[in-house]
Amino acid sequence: MKESSVSLLAKSSIWKKSLNARTALLYLFPSILLFSVFVFYPMFRTIYLSFFLTDQHGSAALFVGLENYTYLLESQAFRNSIKATILFVLYTVPAGVILALFLALIANEKLRGIGFFRTIYSSTMGISVAASSVVWLFLFHPSVGMFNRFLSLMNLPEVQWLLDPDWALLSVSISTIWLNTGFSFLILLGGLQNIDGYLYESAKIDGAGYWYQLRRITIPMLSPTLFFIITISLINAFQSFGQIDILTKGGPSQATNLIVYSIYREAFVNYQFGTASAQAVFLFLCILIVTILQFKFGERKVHYQ
Amino acid sequence: MKKNVRLLFLFSVIFSMMLMAACSNNESKPEPSNPNDEEEGTAESPGKVEINFWHAMSGAGQEALDSIVSDFNSSQDKYTVNAEFQGSYEESLTKLRSVGGTKDAPAITQVFEVGTKFMIDSGYIEPMQSFIDKDNYDLSQLEENILNYYRVDGKLYSMPFNSSTPVMIYNKDAFKEAGLDPEKPPQTFNEVKAAAEKLTKSGEQYGFSMLTYGWFFEQLLATQGGLYVNEENGRAGDATEAVFNGEEGLRVFNFLNDMNKAGTFGNYGTNWDDIRAAFQTGKVAMYMDSSAGVAAAVNNSPFEVGVAFIPYADDIERQGVAIGGASLWMSKGIAEEEQEAAWEFMKYLTTPEVQAKWHIGTGYFAINPAAYDEDIVKAEWEKYPQFKVTVDQLQQTKPSVATQGALISVFPESRQQIVTALENLYQGADPQEVLDQAAEGSNRAIEIANKTKK
Repeated sequence: MKESSVSLLAKSSIWKKSLNARTALLYLFPSILLFSVFVFYPMFRTIYLSFFLTDQHGSAALFVGLENYTYLLESQAFRNSIKATILFVLYTVPAGVILALFLALIANEKLRGIGFFRTIYSSTMGISVAASSVVWLFLFHPSVGMFNRFLSLMNLPEVQWLLDPDWALLSVSISTIWLNTGFSFLILLGGLQNIDGYLYESAKIDGAGYWYQLRRITIPMLSPTLFFIITISLINAFQSFGQIDILTKGGPSQATNLIVYSIYREAFVNYQFGTASAQAVFLFLCILIVTILQFKFGERKVHYQ
Repeated sequence: MKKNVRLLFLFSVIFSMMLMAACSNNESKPEPSNPNDEEEGTAESPGKVEINFWHAMSGAGQEALDSIVSDFNSSQDKYTVNAEFQGSYEESLTKLRSVGGTKDAPAITQVFEVGTKFMIDSGYIEPMQSFIDKDNYDLSQLEENILNYYRVDGKLYSMPFNSSTPVMIYNKDAFKEAGLDPEKPPQTFNEVKAAAEKLTKSGEQYGFSMLTYGWFFEQLLATQGGLYVNEENGRAGDATEAVFNGEEGLRVFNFLNDMNKAGTFGNYGTNWDDIRAAFQTGKVAMYMDSSAGVAAAVNNSPFEVGVAFIPYADDIERQGVAIGGASLWMSKGIAEEEQEAAWEFMKYLTTPEVQAKWHIGTGYFAINPAAYDEDIVKAEWEKYPQFKVTVDQLQQTKPSVATQGALISVFPESRQQIVTALENLYQGADPQEVLDQAAEGSNRAIEIANKTKK
């Protein structure tokens, strides 16, 4: 009787001790459930499929081990996709963030009617990728496009924006930068508005000029927001799909066949879910590495108040 | 605190149950087999069989199709057909893959011509031939050259529906201006090259253009009698190797390469609308289009438009063209009366009256040639004499495995390889080299398909 009461006590104390953990699990339960259904299961399924060749219906048919991966690494087309993806990230992320930062800085000034400009600058956020890509498609149009009209008005040679492999990636990048500016702008403007005014006041009293304030107060205070925006832009750039599908379909000469688009085509046009999954795993690893590197090196420069 | 936790627990349990309910409930379509189902046909008489028809026709095609379907529904009181637009050919095929072979599958699906082999292998479908035999349906009334494409091992697996062929469309006014006879369009590769030379005005107008699309390459190959894959174009057995990189394919690539190098070829990419706009704004004097695009080209161009047969290689006899477009497939695994309904609808579609309406509404061929004798077609042909050229080209085609068209299950992938090859060609790559690369890519796809085939 005594023993049982002791063990009961011990039990209840374990029960009590784990109260926090149990509460935490309970709170996490909905998100764990959602993540399992929509993220973890598809992820493991993708890894599983990447070791198979799939049949016409897209179900795993023939186990091939790592063959899909070795094929990818040897494939000229996939190496080209990697190169295009890296170039695309380099074209869009720095330019997009700097543009959004510039717009946020000028829109942060307290002037009459500034609300109008803030709305305009963030307006691209309200436009879907598909709709805006169609508009860009017309701007880039080889024979009736606006850009070529302007060029010929100025007696410059026409540019095959989306048909020349040297230009296509740049053209898609321009539309992507435009598309992403609204979101980056809004977040950066929010960050700017959060910086306490007294910092600038005391800097002014100390006689600091605009550029000095920008370098020593604005940028450091904005760094958590900037860090967030750079991370998100990077991930977005790696995952860009809609504008490619509508503007170039990965062409010409595979110049804009980014990894995500190549995955889509492999899976839903060619029904090779095996090789598509292998590419997806590869892309996942790339984004993971880049994000880890960024947190390791980029975050050091971030100043949290 | 404790109360909160309990509440939260309750909430998450309810939430997860809702989620599961939502997951298991997705995509449950109204079941066509049950006419008493609440969701449908409450106003219909109970004996009516209702079937779904998935198609990929948008724009003018959809309008014409919807009106044909509603005519059918009101023409008899036994069956009701619901025409449902399912996106592009590729998209609707993707959707079919998820329901194919089950009772949720639509009774009729429209699948593009290069999906033929896939559909036969899929096991989703009831061969059309079984109904043709049962009903003693007279196939000879249909266009032989169209049937040839869809007939595999002497059996008709699907009912041809919308068929088109490629044509060369040209600007008659530009021909006159360049001193060419607008009534005598160039016929061979060399003649086209020479005409393109004369028609090109630097910076303003290119002589010739072709959409960067595998279909046109296939056609230029077929008209020389060239094969796309081995095993008699995949008709004698499962193809194992692409052979389009032979002599005939090289001729096509050289033809394009010569003009591109000479600056007489305009490259307008992979988008149909772009190349059509280029022609209609006078930037290109000759280009290849589908016969289904003829009416739009004639209507939208501010100049006189001519239509010609597609060019063929010099010193070779013209073989004609292979069919493009789509056919209708009947599902297996659905109720018998639904198959019955699908068959009745397909028979209705092939009548001359319906085909006449379809032909003038869309520019697709009439699969029943008797339609060309209908008055509405005659009137339309008077208005657009260009239509007749497309029909002549089809009827003058010599039946052979080349003009029957290739049969492989991985056609979409192979076409993509051709597109890449053409794009590289236009950037100055060697014709034979890019063709070999495309063949290699197609071979891998064919190999995987054969390996994983059950």
